[in-house]
Amino acid sequence: MLRPLEPPTFSPFLLSNQAKVGKDGRVWYGTVNMTPSNATGQPGVIHLDETATKEELATPWNVIVHNDPINLMNYVTMVLMRVFGYPRPKAKKMMLEVHTQGRSLVWSGGREQAEHYVHQLHGYQLLATMEKSET
Amino acid sequence: MTELRVERLDEKHIRISGLTAMLAAMLREMPEILELRDGPDASARLFPDPTAIDDKINREWQQMTTPELRHLFVSAAETVTRDLILLAGSKGAPEAYEVTFPVEHLTAWMSALNQTRLILAEVHKIDEADMERRDFDPQNPKHLAVLRIQLLGYLLHLFVELENGDESTDRI
Repeated sequence: MLRPLEPPTFSPFLLSNQAKVGKDGRVWYGTVNMTPSNATGQPGVIHLDETATKEELATPWNVIVHNDPINLMNYVTMVLMRVFGYPRPKAKKMMLEVHTQGRSLVWSGGREQAEHYVHQLHGYQLLATMEKSET
Repeated sequence: MTELRVERLDEKHIRISGLTAMLAAMLREMPEILELRDGPDASARLFPDPTAIDDKINREWQQMTTPELRHLFVSAAETVTRDLILLAGSKGAPEAYEVTFPVEHLTAWMSALNQTRLILAEVHKIDEADMERRDFDPQNPKHLAVLRIQLLGYLLHLFVELENGDESTDRI
């Protein structure tokens, strides 16, 4: 049975390095400290480094699609429409940017979502990378 | 001469018709070419790093995400390989070939066609200039690979048109 080119239901990598999944299935961000708390002395109390958490979440990541000599223009447009749900004019504009400038910033936002999108774009065999935004 | 067409036969099936003997042979060669995906040339292109500079992220990605991607590509190739068993001469036009497959296999077909094109490009070290060539030497393996990439690309273009509507077929 064919697996459609859809995002996986769960991929550990789709979580950032700072994110952990708790036993209850919730995702926690920040540094997880499993040693006893100084304050309570209770083992297993989890302390989250709030500074790291805020910085991690505040820094946007850019998803970039790069030019390559093989992929078809209408195929790239279709992929951008499928992956991001962009209307055709927006997807086509980005595709033309890839074509003329060698790369296009196609999305910007949180790291996990950026990883998710890069994974999907690779699934369609587009050359895509993610990078921390400088702004 | 029969025109190459990709069309919805009904709600559940897609048909490729008007395939020349050469294009039919190219499609039958796809499974063998797709087996080259794990070679040193093709794997770097099909399973690229997610960042340009972050080795740690790239390493983790290759360990955790690439196997899933590989499974996706293999699955698409297997689906198309099974569909190609039904590739045969057309009843009304014996010089042409056709194949019919379920609508749900459309994405697998696009994936397999594009994988094949990318693998051929990597194996034969084909670049932008090669793709722009207008001369053709049938004895030159690189020229033959470009021809394959172009013809399979035209078929892929017809699939995208079916999905997306008309647009330019140029490469990016």
